[in-house]
Amino acid sequence: MMGLESKSEIGFRGILPFVSTLVLILVMQLQYRLFFLDNLFPYLSLAAVYYWCIFKPRLMPVSAVFLLGLLQDIISGGPLGMMALLLLIVRIFVVRQSSRFLEREFLFNWLVFIMVALVFGLATWATASVYIKETQNLWNALGQSIFTIAVFPVVVLLLGWVRNMLVTENR
Amino acid sequence: MKELRHRFSSGFFITLALALLIFGSKNTSVVDDISSKTSDIFVPILDIASRPFEAAGDFMEWTRQVAIVFSENKRLISENEVLKLAQIKASQLAIDNQRLKKLLNVGEGQVNTIAAARVVSDSDSPFFKSVLINRGTNDGVEKGYAVINEDGIVGRTINLGSSSSRVLLATDINSRIPVKLAAGGINMILEGDNSPYPILAFLPFDKKLAIGDLILTSGYGMVFPPDLPVGQVVEITAEGIRIKLSAKLYNLNYVSIVGYEIIRSPVVENQENTTKEPN
Repeated sequence: MMGLESKSEIGFRGILPFVSTLVLILVMQLQYRLFFLDNLFPYLSLAAVYYWCIFKPRLMPVSAVFLLGLLQDIISGGPLGMMALLLLIVRIFVVRQSSRFLEREFLFNWLVFIMVALVFGLATWATASVYIKETQNLWNALGQSIFTIAVFPVVVLLLGWVRNMLVTENR
Repeated sequence: MKELRHRFSSGFFITLALALLIFGSKNTSVVDDISSKTSDIFVPILDIASRPFEAAGDFMEWTRQVAIVFSENKRLISENEVLKLAQIKASQLAIDNQRLKKLLNVGEGQVNTIAAARVVSDSDSPFFKSVLINRGTNDGVEKGYAVINEDGIVGRTINLGSSSSRVLLATDINSRIPVKLAAGGINMILEGDNSPYPILAFLPFDKKLAIGDLILTSGYGMVFPPDLPVGQVVEITAEGIRIKLSAKLYNLNYVSIVGYEIIRSPVVENQENTTKEPN
């Protein structure tokens, strides 16, 4: 079963989900020197939190999601608590529904992710607009969501390799 | 019991995130301190991670320059002829300018280059426009210093760590920079709105701008030195006048941090002191 974690995962390798998500957050903050990416860089942290909350929820606890969101807020210079709050809501939703995702194929998870990413984009736009006290460009947020949906298979592929490291040699 | 504990921890962290979001902006000194200390930790990692992108960018630029080397050489030769004449004229004007300033006892602005820094991280967000640079208080950087590059203005420092600083870009919605029209000297304010093309505000009713007009810093506000290139007018609509910045903010590599202050001659200060003494 993909969703079950064995005891041998607990330990050093247990931090791999956290570390891999942190790496993706750092990747998000690099300068890519491309005009269109300046406004539309995908939410890689969302894809990573979604993935780990489906397959290894115990290794991506609420405290870890909060810390990752907070780090993203600090490194990106956004309002402190915004990403932490939105990623926590995504975790709560996914963990409650994860039993329905586990037995399904990748395509089903991707379809659900489309919905999650679009709602996440809308929530980011709404929170930013309230924080700045001025309505922001909605299309930028939706553009980011669409890019995130597009890169989701690549993130799944990369995190799949990381997840394979979690499978014990003894199993 | 486990379910209850899980619900409690979810509720606790959501409340904490909400509290940070609502009260974080009000208690800026604590938030700034935490943010700058955390940035100090991650800046060296981001610095190393961004090197391959810098190398790739430099290689692409080198390839582009090689491709246009002959046509560029021809253009530069003809431009050089024009510039030689302009240089003679400019040096004559500079002498005149110095002489007139001495006569009027005009306060001279002093620009200090504090440090050169490398941009290591970009917010990459449509709602918040800032970058992280690898210089901080240890290098003499202070809050509110101007950040420029070879093309023009970039932004100003807003949050400082010991080895890193956050720079609020000129395109951010919170950015306001005093600027002027290069040709007529009309003073205006450049307002960021999170779009790549910031807006020119407070243009006098009787003045008009045209597409292509050059905009420079005015020096008011004591952050940016005067006469730095800002950009060119690209759009004039009923909603506002938009300019394209000279500096490509999506493609920043190295930037300079500059401090600016007006230095008046001691004679004037002494005169002011003597007039105040009788009171």
